Amino acid sequence: MSSDTTSASFEQLALPLLPSLYSHAFWLCRNHAEAEDLVQETLSKALRAFDSFQTGTNFKAWVFRILRNTFLTSRTGIAASRTVFLEDHPDLLGTTDAGPTPEDHLISLNNQAAVNQALDQLHPPLREVLLLCDVEELKYKDIALVLDVPIGTVMSRISRARRTLHQLLQPQRGESL
Amino acid sequence: MTQTTQATGHLDPDLLNAFIDGELSPTESNGIQQHLADCHPCALRVLSATQLKTATARAARRFAAPPEALARLAAQLRPQESKRTARSYSFRSVAWAGLAAALVLALSLGGWWQAHQANTLSAELLDQHLATLSSGASPEVLSTDRHTVKPWFQGKLPFSFNLPDVLPADTTLKGGNLAYLNGQPAALLLFTIHKHEVSVFLTQRSGSPIATPLPGTRSGFSIHSATTHDLRIVAVSDVNPADLDLLVSAIEQTQSPR
Repeated sequence: MSSDTTSASFEQLALPLLPSLYSHAFWLCRNHAEAEDLVQETLSKALRAFDSFQTGTNFKAWVFRILRNTFLTSRTGIAASRTVFLEDHPDLLGTTDAGPTPEDHLISLNNQAAVNQALDQLHPPLREVLLLCDVEELKYKDIALVLDVPIGTVMSRISRARRTLHQLLQPQRGESL
Repeated sequence: MTQTTQATGHLDPDLLNAFIDGELSPTESNGIQQHLADCHPCALRVLSATQLKTATARAARRFAAPPEALARLAAQLRPQESKRTARSYSFRSVAWAGLAAALVLALSLGGWWQAHQANTLSAELLDQHLATLSSGASPEVLSTDRHTVKPWFQGKLPFSFNLPDVLPADTTLKGGNLAYLNGQPAALLLFTIHKHEVSVFLTQRSGSPIATPLPGTRSGFSIHSATTHDLRIVAVSDVNPADLDLLVSAIEQTQSPR
């Protein structure tokens, strides 16, 4: 491929992803200026590495992986990685029947402000996996590629993230009524 | 389907998540659906997990990119072109082109956002409709009498509505439930038309000033909506669209006293 066609097809693939990349970058850095810088750096890295992208694989996962690695080597990312990371141990507690009935959640979920707050409070690695799944709608195998972890880890993090959200939403019960 | 349930006889949390995330094979999904048909607690867990998923996505989309930032990033995607342009054209024409590009981008992003919103809402409508069907639970108020169903909502909703005196042919009111759509309280009315289940959601219009146009069909279900002065009416069903329309317009017409 000539460099012109390369950048043209790169542009075609990357342009529709800009809003997603930006929003995900914002969740990683929590700052607009940094988010824009991060996406900018991601795009130039991705363009340079575009030869290594295998056609037929998921471009979104590929570019999100570059975004994440770029973030991890940035100053904010290095600072963030110093915070304690929860181990991915399988959950031993039975969670099926404990706690309030699901009907309670139906009610607390109508309070969007509470959900916003709960998502803000979520431990960043758990929030990250949930954003890739629920917002970016990536498949588990693509999330595993972005995060560079086994697919089983993706599943257990998603479970834990959702359970934590449930727990965070608990004290809101009744308040929204 | 030995892996469907854990020792407790209920769905394993990982499996439940994989189910709502669409990660399972058709065979595995079928096994789960069979379990959900018989297990009310698990059906409610699936419903609540689905709603949490939708609510998470909505919470995460609060931080949309500013249009200027997106325009700068889009410009960065074609560095060659902009260099060439800069060489052969005056600064002024480049500036105008940039402005035009930003405008086009902003407009298309606006369209994208609206389509996205509509998609989220129609997914939510369909989820609620399917949840009502699959849970097999009776409606909170179980009555074919509009004089029972309507008063039941009093004090439970911040608005009121009328139910038609006469329903279209072979259309029956089954009952009602409280629901939440887009974080707003809604009256959920359950009807059947020729034995097809129909969910009709009534929400206050003032709460959602932007009436996002909804797609007419989703996953084979028809979604019809109408608005009156105060209310937004949305119906979801797999019945034929013409019959669904009759019901929606019957409800729409009774809202304004003749």
